Amino acid sequence: MTMIRGAVAIFRRDMKKFISTPYVIIFTLFMPIMYLIIFGNAMGGTITNIHIGVVQAEPYTIETPLFTSTVEALRNFRSAPDKPTIFVVTVYPTEALAKQALADGQISGAAIFPSTLPGDNTIRVYEDSSDYMVPTLMEGGITAAVAATGTQNPVEINKLYGKIEYFQFFGVGVIVMAIFMTTMMGGAFALIRDRENGIIEGYLVTPVKRSSIILGIIGSGTVRAFLAGFIIVIVDVLITGIVIRTIDQFLLVLLVLVISCIGVTALVVSVASRFNTQQEYASTVAFFNLILFMTSGAFYPTIGMPDWLRWITVINPEYYTVHALRSILLRGQGLNVIGYDLLALFIFSTAAIILGITTYKRTIE
Amino acid sequence: MTGEQIIRLEHLTKIFGNNHRVTAVDDVSFDVRKGEIFGLLGPNGAGKSTLIRILTTLIAPTSGTAYVDQYEVTREPESVRAIIGVCPQNSTLDLELTAYDNLDFYGQLLNVEETVLERRIWELLKMTDLTDRANSRVSTFSGGMRRKLEIVRAFLHRPLILFLDEPTIGLDPDSRFEVWQQITRLNTEKTTIILTTHYMDEAERLCNRIAFMDKGKLIALDTPENHKRALPAGDLIDIGFDHIDGRVLPAIRESGLVTSIEEKEKTLRISAKNGNSVLPAIISIFEKFSVPMTSISIHSPSIEDVFIYLTGRKLDSGEGEQPQPAGGGKAS
Repeated sequence: MTMIRGAVAIFRRDMKKFISTPYVIIFTLFMPIMYLIIFGNAMGGTITNIHIGVVQAEPYTIETPLFTSTVEALRNFRSAPDKPTIFVVTVYPTEALAKQALADGQISGAAIFPSTLPGDNTIRVYEDSSDYMVPTLMEGGITAAVAATGTQNPVEINKLYGKIEYFQFFGVGVIVMAIFMTTMMGGAFALIRDRENGIIEGYLVTPVKRSSIILGIIGSGTVRAFLAGFIIVIVDVLITGIVIRTIDQFLLVLLVLVISCIGVTALVVSVASRFNTQQEYASTVAFFNLILFMTSGAFYPTIGMPDWLRWITVINPEYYTVHALRSILLRGQGLNVIGYDLLALFIFSTAAIILGITTYKRTIE
Repeated sequence: MTGEQIIRLEHLTKIFGNNHRVTAVDDVSFDVRKGEIFGLLGPNGAGKSTLIRILTTLIAPTSGTAYVDQYEVTREPESVRAIIGVCPQNSTLDLELTAYDNLDFYGQLLNVEETVLERRIWELLKMTDLTDRANSRVSTFSGGMRRKLEIVRAFLHRPLILFLDEPTIGLDPDSRFEVWQQITRLNTEKTTIILTTHYMDEAERLCNRIAFMDKGKLIALDTPENHKRALPAGDLIDIGFDHIDGRVLPAIRESGLVTSIEEKEKTLRISAKNGNSVLPAIISIFEKFSVPMTSISIHSPSIEDVFIYLTGRKLDSGEGEQPQPAGGGKAS
């Protein structure tokens, strides 16, 4: 009987606490719903909007029927009659231009059609092999489109960056995951713990400025996150076979890591600067973690996502980190390609730091 | 603000909550003078800590103004923080850091010059007898050690004003005594000290002036002596005897020296202002009727008696206590 009474007492206490924190309830319910929406949309849907460049090879005389009809077939290629088209086809005047666009990441593949029509002339396809699923879809699409024209021309696939395993593709995403996880438990957590334990009351009465508090916490969090990210880079090199070819590439990777760590840490700290309890903070940050990581393209190409989800990627720092790291590590690209990512990360970091400082509560109420 | 005042409160009020409004501080006004030890005395929940938190810029008052030195606490909090030292009621030590690191951390935040910081830290550690534990984590310290460390941390930077919120709560008598010595020593260095406590003896021993707070209100403010003098009953004299002569009581009563007298279990309990000077006269009355006395004791009223007189309640106990007559306090 006393056992039951004790159990009931514990049960009632926990329920009272649970009900008195509506914020946490909302976020804990919100999480699985967001999982459903994001996973369902990001990963269950068909990938569309794959950009392909097509070129009629030199010497150019006239568009061959093979070229026109294949392009037409590609434009109308669907996985099923009632689904949207999969490819966005751009015609390039020269092979060099198409390859340049491919190298810059504007298109996922380029198909070069022969200038004359003998049946054994090959159609050369160059594809960005660093992406996941997209190359496979493209190969299938082009082969099917050519076959649909009734010709027997062979299709030759050239993988621009060699064969890249999903393991490697995902390995880059895990770097970002490590950064985010460490950030969650890092500096921001210390901020909340200080508040919850009341330690904060001690230093809030000193002349220390709130900008000092925030910058200090972002600083320590950044170092921890960087170390975590760096360790995963090493693990990626050792286990997944990602290759860092030059010292320049290595330095670029470090630069991307540092600026990403500052940005993500600052974001988390700015969230944390408003919260009083670990519970509130943890449920909110878990939610952010989900959205940012899922839409970063870390384990599924962002072009597979519906438009509204892709908008999140535009303001998602992790998206730029993933893109920059893949450009360097998988495609061997340099500053010309990732400059845009660095700029975005820089703007984001600055905004997050300012937000963190301005929202930090200098009082204990 | 005159040169003598260092803190001034004007109609300070703090109301917490929206639905269940709690008035923690209710229209409180007073001054603290430069260099004094000022005691805020009252039961738990009287609003002492809230008042301290307002003065140390941790929370904003709902209405009213407060000046610390010449700075208004809500308008120039940064200037206030630069001249105060605070030892909060609940521990704010970082338990994961060592004693030395805790002091070092605050030394940096308090802008103590690098060249003097290390020497200052060792000086404070020595003062608290923690020199040999300097590099131990605070989590391994006893309650008394932690409290002492926290108090010295508050005056690491030699602040103009020191706020001590219940500095000796939960300490054993030896540690309390050490803390009192530290406070007195600091005060001789011209530091103004504001002390909250619910220990009467502590307030009485240390404070130049004592403000009584109850239910958010300031109910009296004066020196300990004046507080006691304001009590109508005065000192309490107990005289024991085996047999009493029926004429003794009327004789004492008629002498006009005492305010009240009663006989109880072979003891005469006499209330009189200035008990020390009336006692010889009372003794001579006993001798006149040849009544042998078995014991004599004289009690001065304590600060607790003052509090009981002012509020009708004991300081430590909760509501519902019957008002007790003055007297019966501890011997002093």
